[in-house]
Amino acid sequence: MFEIARYEGRNRLKGSVYLSVGMALLAALVIWVYPSFSDALGGDELLEAYPQEMLQLFRIETMASLEGFLAFELYTFGWIILLGLYLAYAAAGAIADDVDRGRMDTLLAMPISRARLVAEKFAALSVPILVVNLLTPPAILLGARLIDEPLSVADVLAAHLLSIPFLFACAGIGLLCSVAFDRVGIAQRVALGVTFALFLLESLLAGTDYEELGAIAPMRYYDPNEILLESTYDLVGVVVLVAMTVVLVGVSQLVFRRSDL
Amino acid sequence: MAAIELEGLTKDYGEVVANDSLEFAVERGEIFGFLGPNGAGKTTTIRMLLGFISPTSGTARVLGEDVREERSLLEAKRRIGYLSDEPGFDEQQTGTDVLDLHASIKGDSRREELLELFDPPVERRIREYSQGNARKLGIVTAFMHDPDLVILDEPTNGLDPLMRQRFADFLRAERQRGVTVFFSSHNLSEVRRLCDRVGIIRDGKLVTIEPVDALLRRSGKVIRIRSADPIPIDVLDLEGVHDLETSVSDGHEGADPSTAFTECVFTFTGDINALLPRLADDELIDLAIEEAPLEDVFMRFYGGEDDV
Repeated sequence: MFEIARYEGRNRLKGSVYLSVGMALLAALVIWVYPSFSDALGGDELLEAYPQEMLQLFRIETMASLEGFLAFELYTFGWIILLGLYLAYAAAGAIADDVDRGRMDTLLAMPISRARLVAEKFAALSVPILVVNLLTPPAILLGARLIDEPLSVADVLAAHLLSIPFLFACAGIGLLCSVAFDRVGIAQRVALGVTFALFLLESLLAGTDYEELGAIAPMRYYDPNEILLESTYDLVGVVVLVAMTVVLVGVSQLVFRRSDL
Repeated sequence: MAAIELEGLTKDYGEVVANDSLEFAVERGEIFGFLGPNGAGKTTTIRMLLGFISPTSGTARVLGEDVREERSLLEAKRRIGYLSDEPGFDEQQTGTDVLDLHASIKGDSRREELLELFDPPVERRIREYSQGNARKLGIVTAFMHDPDLVILDEPTNGLDPLMRQRFADFLRAERQRGVTVFFSSHNLSEVRRLCDRVGIIRDGKLVTIEPVDALLRRSGKVIRIRSADPIPIDVLDLEGVHDLETSVSDGHEGADPSTAFTECVFTFTGDINALLPRLADDELIDLAIEEAPLEDVFMRFYGGEDDV
């Protein structure tokens, strides 16, 4: 068991480290600009200049503290948008790329079921998800210390820990695209499109009559503002995200078992 | 129990029937050649046998397991080796990485022996592989777990003549060990060298299935005749003469090329004893009787214009 997951996971390791370095650099940049930002504007004056939609889209609640600043500059933008899209994109290649490049026959000629192959390919995506969330928190905590704005270690760790089920759910969306389309380019584009559309759906419909629609978006169940500003950890959200992931992987397995390759 | 049994195996894509009610069996321990031109449906059959695509009707059994049942087919796959017509491997990995993955899933009891024989550059990355090297690596992956049945799709494409010979010798040795080999090809000389029996497929339909020596017998002889004086063409009006071409050489201006010849060539599938007496009174300069190239026989199956 897990031979494919181990193999794929090993192949993803190097890229995951690069990804983590990139995200750590983004974090460093955000932390580095924060002091001059808060000195110049002293509070939330800038926020008043932004249109309400913009604040809502990027979930900007406050810039008056490093926590608030990080919540949207790093976690909303970096984790929810960038990493969410990255995982959806990477997962979209998991099956479709092998089918597209003629490698799937070689894999499936071995005694391995299609459901297991899908599950193991998906499991290998835990490598980027875990590596990026292991390597970046120390950089963020250290950076905050260097600018004398210490952060709550528990809250930062929680922001990363709770992002893990969110990122798996995004990967689940990509996985479903990967089995639904046999052309990898199409699978990846649809995965990016759907994930970003869900983000917009959840962000822009908040406070309108259609707010309920946002319930299908994984982004609803991961709120960095809540974690960093209020130290509130939404465990129900975690359960919902895990359930979403399980359903997406299950449906992907079902679709892949029935498809002609 | 046969190694492979096709029971009305059909793949209907709507606009084209890639496999039309195929029905035949491959016996254990034989080398079976599956022949047909490109687009005849060979790869479709092979991909159904391995469960990559599902039949629209009918079914097949490999090593006794129904190809429509994933779970039972998985059991069979432990004892099956497969080489795709375009073996795809992860470009970023080395040959050794690929073999290690295969070994972890299905075993590699014969890996070293096969590497010695076919010698793909396992330390190099796949993206640097030529078509021939990818094929050699594919051969190793197909046989490394010591399968009872191997299914090979155009296995010698891209191999140089030396490797082809080595592969042919290897397959014969495998047959001696009781391994069943099912391979598709459009290379007839290869089939003639290797196969016990041949199935020919055209437009998704099975045209014939027979022992390779029967096919060769039916393929007949190519006969070339040169005579000193014109011979009436109706001398050759007998059963078994195909593709007759005649001409009259210079110096016989009196002869009518539509009724007589001084040179001719034809394929003959009839009784040679019926032919030779008809030429007994003519003075021949040359008479050559050669084995017909299998390609011609093959053409006759494809062409459909002649009776075979």
